[in-house]
Amino acid sequence: MIIELTVNGTLRSVEITPSMRLLDMLRNVLGLTSVKEGCSEGECGACTVLLDGKAVTSCTVLAVQARGRSVVTIEGLSSDEALHPIQQAFVDHDAIQCGFCTPGMIMSAYALLKHTPSPTREEIQRGIEGNLCRCTGYLPIIDAIEDAARRMRTHES
Amino acid sequence: MAELKYVGRDVQRNDIVEKASGRIKYMGDRMQGGAAHARLILSPIARGRVVSFDASEAERMPGVLRVFSPKDDPGKRFNSALFLPDQTDLQDHPVFTDKPLFVGDILGAVLAKDEETARAAAAAVKIGFEEEAPLLDMEQAALPQTPSFREGMPQVVEGKIAYGEESLPGDAIILESVVRTQKIHHGAMENHICEARMEYGGVLLVETPCQMAFTVRYVLADLFGIPFNKVRVVKTPVGGAFGGKQEVGIEPHCALMALKTGLPVRLALDRTQTILATRTRAASVGRILIAADREGNLLRREMDVIVDAGAYATGTQRVMMAMGKKTSRLYRIPSQSFRGRTVFTNTTPAGACRGYGSPQIHAITEIAMDLLARKLLLDPAEFRLKNLVHPWDTDPAGGPALGNARIRDCLVRGMEVFRWNERRVIPSGTGRFRRGVGLACCTHGNGYFGSPYPDFMSMAMRFCEDGTVLVNAGLQELGNGTLTTIGQIVAEVLDLPPERVEVSESDTSTTPFDVGCVASRVTYVCGSCALELAEKLKSRFLGQCARVLAVDAHRLSLKNGNVVDSEEGGRRSYGGMVCRIAKELREEAGEYLHYKPEANPASYGVHFAETLTDTLTGTVEVTDYLAVHDVGRAINPRLLRGQIYGGVQMGVGMALSEELVYDSKGRPKSASLSRYTMINAPSMPKVGVLLVEEGEPGGPFGGKSIGEICTVPVAPAIANAVNASLGTMMTELPFTPERILAALSARRETNAR
Ligand code: FES
Ligand code: FES
Repeated sequence: MIIELTVNGTLRSVEITPSMRLLDMLRNVLGLTSVKEGCSEGECGACTVLLDGKAVTSCTVLAVQARGRSVVTIEGLSSDEALHPIQQAFVDHDAIQCGFCTPGMIMSAYALLKHTPSPTREEIQRGIEGNLCRCTGYLPIIDAIEDAARRMRTHES
Repeated sequence: MAELKYVGRDVQRNDIVEKASGRIKYMGDRMQGGAAHARLILSPIARGRVVSFDASEAERMPGVLRVFSPKDDPGKRFNSALFLPDQTDLQDHPVFTDKPLFVGDILGAVLAKDEETARAAAAAVKIGFEEEAPLLDMEQAALPQTPSFREGMPQVVEGKIAYGEESLPGDAIILESVVRTQKIHHGAMENHICEARMEYGGVLLVETPCQMAFTVRYVLADLFGIPFNKVRVVKTPVGGAFGGKQEVGIEPHCALMALKTGLPVRLALDRTQTILATRTRAASVGRILIAADREGNLLRREMDVIVDAGAYATGTQRVMMAMGKKTSRLYRIPSQSFRGRTVFTNTTPAGACRGYGSPQIHAITEIAMDLLARKLLLDPAEFRLKNLVHPWDTDPAGGPALGNARIRDCLVRGMEVFRWNERRVIPSGTGRFRRGVGLACCTHGNGYFGSPYPDFMSMAMRFCEDGTVLVNAGLQELGNGTLTTIGQIVAEVLDLPPERVEVSESDTSTTPFDVGCVASRVTYVCGSCALELAEKLKSRFLGQCARVLAVDAHRLSLKNGNVVDSEEGGRRSYGGMVCRIAKELREEAGEYLHYKPEANPASYGVHFAETLTDTLTGTVEVTDYLAVHDVGRAINPRLLRGQIYGGVQMGVGMALSEELVYDSKGRPKSASLSRYTMINAPSMPKVGVLLVEEGEPGGPFGGKSIGEICTVPVAPAIANAVNASLGTMMTELPFTPERILAALSARRETNAR
């Protein structure tokens, strides 16, 4: 079947099967390979994307559920030249080691900051509690998100 | 020493923008270019025999290319840790087995045109088994009367290390204890994956996110009887490794399928398969006796440790011996004995895992040290200070000298920053929540020198026509910053910005030999190789420039990308000189180096933990943490701190929640991330880091290892804090709520009596 949806701001029609997961559609059909699969059961957050502005684990969502809705992956955050402030903060705080958790982590951070522009450290920890990172111990990630929030606030004001 | 420009600075890691943007392509992200997809068929039983293998339904499914069964096994057995023929590790590992020895043992595979079909077809293969009762308990496995499941192979492999007098003074204070450490999943976020294909010239090309490409080559060439120069192993980006991608894993299976079909094959595991069918951290049981005099001077230590290899030998015997070798390098102990027994159980094979046995042996010894301190009525920190090694001590068991061993500095400075003396005597309280502090010391190595495994490396380094530098090395970036660190060292010597240095990764056909990014050897060994080679290249390049410019080489120096003439004052770019050297001398500005380390000093660390335990629910929160490390010299302090944070996180999991457990039939109860609890952001404590940088001779700019040692003392530090706060003597990791509640009620009962 063919569904229409918005992916990273562009209206797309995509051929899917009824059992296809959103994760498979994004990776295999649309080639958005930033979306990673770490556990296939909604536990690791590596596959996190935004669905109508909310962070979801795309391994637990069917592609058909995205019909008519808007999906954003990390490919939709930055342009070729400039990183998004969250990405830049991850770079500046060395919040990335192997990088496998990073796209999902940044999408969760993005969703958090959208609704909570000035989060406390505890709110940040809770905002990424569904994203596992085995490398960094989270501390640089939490610093990066705190810093990104600051940067985004000054940017806007 | 003149001020350093790049070493000791927070240089940005080389690939971080690619990773932040999500553009980096791990193996699973690459275009599949006509590859056939393989799905492994894993044993659902822990021990038995395949009596029927019916693939007819699977074979009829459209898109299925071929089904592999135990009949496709090449017959020869391999050992996944072996990299030279004289290594004695048991070769007992089949590719496809008809006698499964654990749930997850690999029976066969389906090759199909896409992943979905392969998965469906694998599920459609009907296999009949004759089951046998599995052997699951490692202590039972160590008993001589226990029948072995290992057909013709020993059930117990023993190793001993001892020195000093065996006798004990009659008035010694003695602590005896049994400490248990659990089986752990590495938990790299990227699951195991590999690709194999036949290339032009009959070359078997295997691409894999691995830590030791040359070991993969060794095992594949040996197993399949292919000339080594016809096997090309290329390392791809790694989404986390931690030792789980150190030993050869699924490469033999993938290569076998490519060899048999001539097709390019991609073999990808999902999380459950990665947990079940790859490797784990070995569980251990350590019986320990420590004797000290009344003042707290250690007299003797005896350790009898059983290490669970799981179903196949893999590298676990090496892990067991590595455990023993650590025990004579932390405290001055007049006499000691270590007996290790590697035993086999019907569980997922163990093998290398961050620390290579160090976290296990330090859990055993450091938890016991605290229990003895309690018996001696001594402050655990003061007790350790009395006994810790001093710089330049030798290893009484005959291992390499300890080098500039700065553990005492670590402890003294850590006590001050953590306010140990003050916090230790604060009562833990009598209410529901109990607060306590604990610490643990540790040591780890810097390579293979002094072990049975040869340590050496070669590298090539050259200037390009634009003055950039290419380092051709068989390295493996694992996310820990290897390439960045090596690049910084080279940049320092050749005086150019680190981003103008490109460091390669392993490709066994094009990069010089290296034994791998393992054994905490990269900074100390590979970094020193890079340093010495950069100096060699510098002197060659300056000599070449002198000949081209017809001046004395002593007048020339390298400054920020330019060759500077001190007398004439001219500045000429590296690139310009490289081109002139090419044209006028017909030479390349390049060098090659064979490097052998001649030392293997120890790295050290002390971790301090504060815990808050809820006596009602049994949950533990780590509320404060300080990691102090003797690193010789931080090449990149920010990357180094990142290693420590990650190491602490893995260690907190080992202390409190992570454990692979089995039911009585050997079926894993924690084969998914919903049942295997790794530490997430809310459970991660704040971690302070304190570095002792006194310089290690033989290391680049004085640097030595950090990546493994930083996870070593975490579990005992936390365990000691919990035991101190509850007055318990728990010795079985992890400290789950159930175990804590049980220990509390046992203590209440003893107190009531
Ligand atoms: S792959 Fe979706 S949450 Fe892990
Ligand atoms: S950076 Fe490796 S899992 Fe997060």
